[in-house]
This record gives sequence, C-alpha cells and structure tokens, in this order.
Amino acid sequence: MSSDRIIFSDVSKFYGEVLGVNKVSLEVAPGLTGLVGPNGSGKSTLMHLMTGLLRPSRGDISVLGIAPDQPEELFRVVGYCTQYDSFPNGATGISFLLHALALHGYPKTEADERAWAAVERVGLTDAANRRIAGYSKGMRQRIKLAHAHCHDPQVLVLDEPLNGLDPMGRAEMIDLFTNFAHQGRHVIVSSHILHEVDLISDGVIMIHGGAIVAEGEIRAVRGEITSHPMQVLIRCDKPHDVASEIFRLEHVVEARLLDDGGLLVRTRHADDFFTELNRIILATDVVVETVAPADESVHAVYDYLIGEGVGGGSV
Amino acid sequence: MTAGLSSAETRLWRGQIWTVAKSEIHRNLFSRRSLAVYLLVFMPLAVMLLRALFMPEALRVDPPHATTEFAEFFFFFFLRLVVFFVNAVIFVRLFRGEMLERSLHYTLLAPIRRDVLTTGKYLGGVVSSVLLLVPATALTYLLVYLPHGRAGLSLMFSASGIANLLTYLLIVVLACLAYGALFMLAGLYFKNPMIPALIFLGWETLTPFLPALLKSLSFVHYLASFAPVPVTLGAFAILARPVSWWVALLALLAASAVLVFLASRAARRLEVKYSAE
Repeated sequence: MSSDRIIFSDVSKFYGEVLGVNKVSLEVAPGLTGLVGPNGSGKSTLMHLMTGLLRPSRGDISVLGIAPDQPEELFRVVGYCTQYDSFPNGATGISFLLHALALHGYPKTEADERAWAAVERVGLTDAANRRIAGYSKGMRQRIKLAHAHCHDPQVLVLDEPLNGLDPMGRAEMIDLFTNFAHQGRHVIVSSHILHEVDLISDGVIMIHGGAIVAEGEIRAVRGEITSHPMQVLIRCDKPHDVASEIFRLEHVVEARLLDDGGLLVRTRHADDFFTELNRIILATDVVVETVAPADESVHAVYDYLIGEGVGGGSV
Repeated sequence: MTAGLSSAETRLWRGQIWTVAKSEIHRNLFSRRSLAVYLLVFMPLAVMLLRALFMPEALRVDPPHATTEFAEFFFFFFLRLVVFFVNAVIFVRLFRGEMLERSLHYTLLAPIRRDVLTTGKYLGGVVSSVLLLVPATALTYLLVYLPHGRAGLSLMFSASGIANLLTYLLIVVLACLAYGALFMLAGLYFKNPMIPALIFLGWETLTPFLPALLKSLSFVHYLASFAPVPVTLGAFAILARPVSWWVALLALLAASAVLVFLASRAARRLEVKYSAE
C-alpha cells in the first residue's frame, strides 16, 4: 500500500521489563518534523523502530507503506543517521560511502558520482580519502550525514544530527535538511536543543517517558494548551493606551508593560484577542512595530507540557 | 530464495552477496583482528618446521612413516584444533564482531534482505578460512615429507601422495563449510560464542568414545570418513561402521545448509542494542 505518511499504530517497545515506548500512535506528514524529548525519553527508540533496527513488542509501523522488517524495500527510500559514533575499522570517508552504495546495487561509476556528491554536500571533499578514525567529531558527524542521504532517500531520519558541529557546520546542515524537506520529503530530526528544532521544524513530536505528549504544528499544539494563557508581545508607540484598552477584554488575564517598552499580554482566547486587537489599533490610532506570539515556541510548549524547567534551551 | 525472480533481482542479490563477502574477506585477512587467526594457522607450520629441523637421522630414512604421521597430526591436531578454532574466530565474528565494533547498524541500514546478508557473510567467512587453511594444510604436508629428502618428496608427489593431499584439502574445505555455519549461528545467539564453541569442541573430541547414534551428531565423524589413511583412535574408542563418502558429503552439506538457514532466520530478528552487548 503506497502512502506518503509514516504511521505508528499502537506501538510499544519493551526492553525486558523496561519500557522503551508505550502505545505510540502517530501519523507523520512530509516536511521537517522535530522529535523532542529529554535524554531517555524514547526518541532514539522511536527512530530505531521506524528503521527496523528494533522490532516493536506490539503494534505496527509503516513508512511510506513499507513495513520496517523489509529492509530491501525500506532503505531504498529511507536514510538514517544514528547517534552511534562508531564506524567500520579502517574505513576512509569515501570507501565508507562506496560500500553503502554498492549494497544499494549502484554501478561503480554511479556509486562514485553519488559518493563524491554526498561528501561535497557535507563539506568533506578534501578529507574523503582519509581514514574516519582520524576525523574530528564534527567530521564524523558529517560523514554519517553523507551516508544517510547519499542514495537520495525520500525519508531522512536524523538522531541528534547537529551534535559536534561548529556553528557554521550547523547552519550548513540545517540548510541541507530544510532543502530536503522543501522537496516534499520527510526529514525527522531528533534534538534536545529546543531552539534548533524551533528554527527548522514544520511540525513537532514531543515524547516523554516513552509516551507521545503532543504532535503537530507548534502553533496548533500551543493552541490546545488551554491551561497556560497565550502570551503575545506588542511593540508600538502608545503601549499605555493599548494596555488600558486591552485590559478591558474579558479573556485577557494580564497586560504587563515591560522595561524595554514592550507590552506583554496573556490571553485565554488568542483568536478573539487578535480580532479585538485590530479594532483597538484602529480606534487608538497607534503605530504598531510588531505583534508576535511570545510563547509559541517548542521551548515554551515543551515547558508547559512537560514542565521540567528547560531554561538553557536544551532538555 | 530464487523462485519467480527477475534477472535484475538475481543480479542485485549476487552483487550484494559479493559486496558483503569481499568486505568480510578484507576484515578477516587484512585487519588487526586477523592476527589471532594468523597465529593459529602458523602453529602447525611451526611444529612441522621444528620437526623437520630436529628430526633424528634414523627417522629420516623412513618416508612411508611420514604418511601415517601426517594422518595422525591432521586428525588430532590440525583438524580438531587449528581448523576448529580458525573457523570459530572467523565465523563468530561475522555478526558478533560488528556488534562489538558497534558498526552493525550500517549493514542493517542497507537495502539488503537479511538472508542475502547472511549468505554474503557466510561466503566471505568460507573464502577467508579456505584461503588461510588450504595453503597451511599443503605447506604442513610438504614439511612432513621434506626431512625425508628426495625419497620423501617423490613419495609426496606420487599419485597416491597427491591424491592424499587433495583428500585432506577436501576435508578442510568441508570442515570450513560445516564449522563455519555452526559458528556463524552461535555468533548470532550467544553474547560469548566461545563458550558453546568449547563445549562443541569437547563433544567433537569425545566422538570416538560415543555410541554410533551419538557419533552421527558430530562433524568430525563425517569428516573422518574421508580419511585417506586410517588413524588409530585409541584403546577406548568405540568402533562404528564407517559412513560412505557420499553420505558423509551429503550430511555435511545438508547440515551446513540447515545451519545457514537458521542463521538467516536469526538475522531477520536481529536488533541493534549495543548497550546490551
């Protein structure tokens, strides 16, 4: 059955008596999806299950209509960059890729072209003939990324792909992932660095203790968290006037003037608030610089849902 | 595995099997992990070299004695220890080695059927062990006859001498096929496959003293059926009707095929859990 989705149906994985993931049901659409959760929450287990490196204790998984226990079909369309920082002994960057491409069945010339194109995309052309054992952490991460995408997969699964990369490298790789996603493919990225996920993701899957806490577009997920009023930051030339008007609205629970001149509003009904805000702006004749959600980020949503104090931007 | 297949699919599988096999051959023969195997292979050569150097003059004039001497050396030392342990080291590492190296996931992330992968690894193991053990057998054979001078060499290169050598080489190849399949399976099921390997070695060693029915559950019983020169098994050995060569051949090939099939099934259920290793 052909599909463009990655589907988990009531999937659980136990390691003996230890829970890996529990009753996960998900449907992931193409695009760049962030998989977020603290260490040990089940992110890697979920990725291993998706790629057949682990078998579910119960439930079914389908990746574009292919079951993960059919590697001969699955890995024509899936590339996986794992978190393992280990490589076959004695391999050079290019021989590592050529071996993978030979297993795909590419003829020598095409395998050569694909391997060199992949090392070029990850910026390792000069080091490609060196042994991986002599690579820096960042270079090892890059060659793993080249390995994951050298066969041009439809689904790219990346477990903490930015670990060990310098800021320039992170920007280059984020570019690579977003380009992939913009071509209508799946890019699933796990990270415990929330602001990175925020920067690149179209949607997010939040996992905690082996269970899915939330999934979907960040805005939609945020909208469903009614226990925490939505925060909106307004910058304008007459914040006092706007604040006094806004405070009369029934669904506004707080309107606070900030030291830098901004106005932070907390409301229980974001849609109603934005409608009313338009009316107020027209009525009070203010010049508005920005109106932006202040807690519509993965970081904030994660904090609300899991509440583990994610101060440093990482979980 | 080949029923109803397109030629493209068969070509792909052949290519994948050879890619996996080449990688295993390279690892077994040209990596640091091959040192133990080379030491094992060097042992019989060293023993026979020392024998050739320090053989008393009185024994050098008796070339026919070399024929029985090699037969005993082959069955009690070369086959039971060298061939056994070379295969154990090579084949248990086919999967287990990659797990310990934490690189198995790269192989499992390739679009390759697990039975094709298992076949490729097995083929790589067999080629590696045959490439090491066949020349070692031939060289050991040469070193047994060498101290006997021209008479020894002419006996070795006689029709019966060459036929004996070819039979010993056949036994080595069959031993690689059978022990290899067994150890590959052990490598998939046991975290420390050397323990079951040692238990099996004990079983193989006890074979001459077991009743006929139990003898048939050991490889060495069938391998001994090919022996070109009979060897004395000792006073306590229980004699059994020898197996004809074609029954022995079929039994060894069938056992190898069944073990490789079981290994393929185990490989299908294989999971990557390095932390549990």
